[in-house]
Amino acid sequence: MKRSEALIEIDNIHKSFGDFEVLKGISLSVNEGEAVCIIGPSGSGKSTVLRCINGLLPIDEGFIRVGNHRVHELRSEKEMRPLRHQVSMVFQQYNLFPHKTALENIMMAPIQVLGHERAEVEDRARKLLEKVRLGNKADSYPGMLSGGQQQRVAIARALAMQPEVILFDEVTAALDPETVKEVLLTIRELVDDGLTCILVTHEMKFAREVADRVCFTDRGLIVENAPPADLFDNPQDPRTREFLGQVL
Amino acid sequence: MNMTFELSYEGKKRLVIGGVLAAIAAWIAVDAMAGGAEHWARVFVRLPLLLTGQGDGWPITGGFALNILLSIASMAVATVLGTLLGISTLAQSPYLRLPAFFIMNFLRNSPWLVLLFAMLFILPFQVEVFGLRIPFPPFVKAVIGLALPTAANLSEVVRGAVQSIHSGQWEAARALGYTTPQIYRHVILPQALRRMIPGWMNLYALLTIATALATVTGIQDVLTILNTSLAMESERVLVYFYLTTLFLFFAYCYPIAIFARRLERAVKGDNI
Repeated sequence: MKRSEALIEIDNIHKSFGDFEVLKGISLSVNEGEAVCIIGPSGSGKSTVLRCINGLLPIDEGFIRVGNHRVHELRSEKEMRPLRHQVSMVFQQYNLFPHKTALENIMMAPIQVLGHERAEVEDRARKLLEKVRLGNKADSYPGMLSGGQQQRVAIARALAMQPEVILFDEVTAALDPETVKEVLLTIRELVDDGLTCILVTHEMKFAREVADRVCFTDRGLIVENAPPADLFDNPQDPRTREFLGQVL
Repeated sequence: MNMTFELSYEGKKRLVIGGVLAAIAAWIAVDAMAGGAEHWARVFVRLPLLLTGQGDGWPITGGFALNILLSIASMAVATVLGTLLGISTLAQSPYLRLPAFFIMNFLRNSPWLVLLFAMLFILPFQVEVFGLRIPFPPFVKAVIGLALPTAANLSEVVRGAVQSIHSGQWEAARALGYTTPQIYRHVILPQALRRMIPGWMNLYALLTIATALATVTGIQDVLTILNTSLAMESERVLVYFYLTTLFLFFAYCYPIAIFARRLERAVKGDNI
C-alpha cells in the first residue's frame, strides 16, 4: 500500500499533557472505506489519537493528513471547518445538545455550519433517523431517550455532516449491555456501506467481526497492527498476548 | 394524659412567622389608637406623591415608579454588559481575559454609592457626536452608575453558569465545525441562561433596593421626594413615611427573592 494513496495518514505523532507523554510516536494510515479498530488498555492514548485526527487536540510533533487537509498545520477553528466537515466524531458520552430535540440536534450543524438549505437538511435528517431506527423519536429531547437511543441520534448527527470518515470514541462504553447491540448494529451497517471508520472500542468480538484491521496500542505506541484474524488468533507481541489474555 | 405536640420544621417556621406578623399588627393597632392613626392618614393622603411623584398620582414623574423604571433600565444595561464581561473572563486570549478580570474585580469591590458619585462627575452633561447632541441627564447617569457594579456581579453569575456546562458540549460542537462565538450562541448560552435565571433575579432584587442610592444624582425618586416635598411634615409623621417606603421596597423585592429561590431549587434538580 502506498502511503500517499491513503485517506488518512498519521506519521510519528507525539502529544504530552503536562509532563505525561500520552502519544510517543504513533504512525497509522487508513484507506478509504476501511474500518480500523483501535484496542488497548485504558490510558494507552487511544482516544487521544482520535482527537488529534480531527484537530480537537493539537499535536506537539508529527504529521497528520486527512484527505487534502494537513491537520497539524491548521491553527484556528475556522481553518478546521472543512476538516470537521470531512471527519465526524461520535463520543462515549453522546454529548447531544440537551436543549434541542433529536431532529434539531441532527439539523443544527448542517444548517448553521455548512449553510445547507433547511428543507433539504430536514429531509436528510428524517431519513437518517429512519436509518438508525428512531424515526418516531424526531421530536423527543435527549433527556427522554435511553442511552442507546441517544447514541444512535449522535451517530445520525455525525452522518448529517456527510463526512468521509467517522471517528467512534468508545461509543458503547457508557451503555447498558442490552442497548449495546442496537448501537453496534448501526455501526456495522455504516461499515458495510463503505464508510471509512476508526473505532476505539472495548468490544473485542465486535472488533473482530467488523474491522478490516485492528491496532493494539500500549503506553503511547501502536504495538501491533494486523487484520483481526491474525491479531486475535496469532498475536506477535507479548504485550498484545497479555492484554488479549486478560480481556478475552 | 400525656399530650405532645410534634411540629415539623415547616410547622415551626409558620408558627414563628405568624407570631412575628401578629406582634407587628398588634403594635400598629396599639400605636394607631395612641394617635398614630392621624399620622397614617397623612401618609395615605400623600401616598400618590410617594408612588408617582405627583400629588394626584398622574402623570408619573418620579417617586417609587421611577425607582422601578431605574431598576429595569439598569438591569437591561447590566445584563448585556455582564454577559459580555463574563464571557470575556473566560476567553482564551489573555489580551481579552486579563482586562476583563481587572474591570470585573475593580467594579465588584467598589462601593455602589462611590460609583454613582463618580459617574455623576465623570460623565459629561452632554456629548456631541458628529454634531448630534446626546444629553446625559441625571437619570442616564444613575442608570450607568448602578448598571456597572451590577454587571460586574452578573458576570460572575454568567461565568459560573457557562462553566457548569459539561465540557463534552464544547467538544461535540467543535467537532461539528462550530466556531467559538457560534458555540456560545447556539449551544452554551441557551443552556447557561436557564441556570443564570435565579442569580439574575437575586441581583435584580438587590439592584432595586440600591436604586434608593440614586437620590444623590438628584432624580425625583422616592427618597428625593421624601427629603424635599415632605420635609415640611412633622418629624413624627416622617417616621411613618419612611416605614411606608421601606414597606414599598419590601413588597416589590421579597416576592422576587422568593421566586428566585424557588427557581434555584427547580434548576438544581435537572441536569439540563
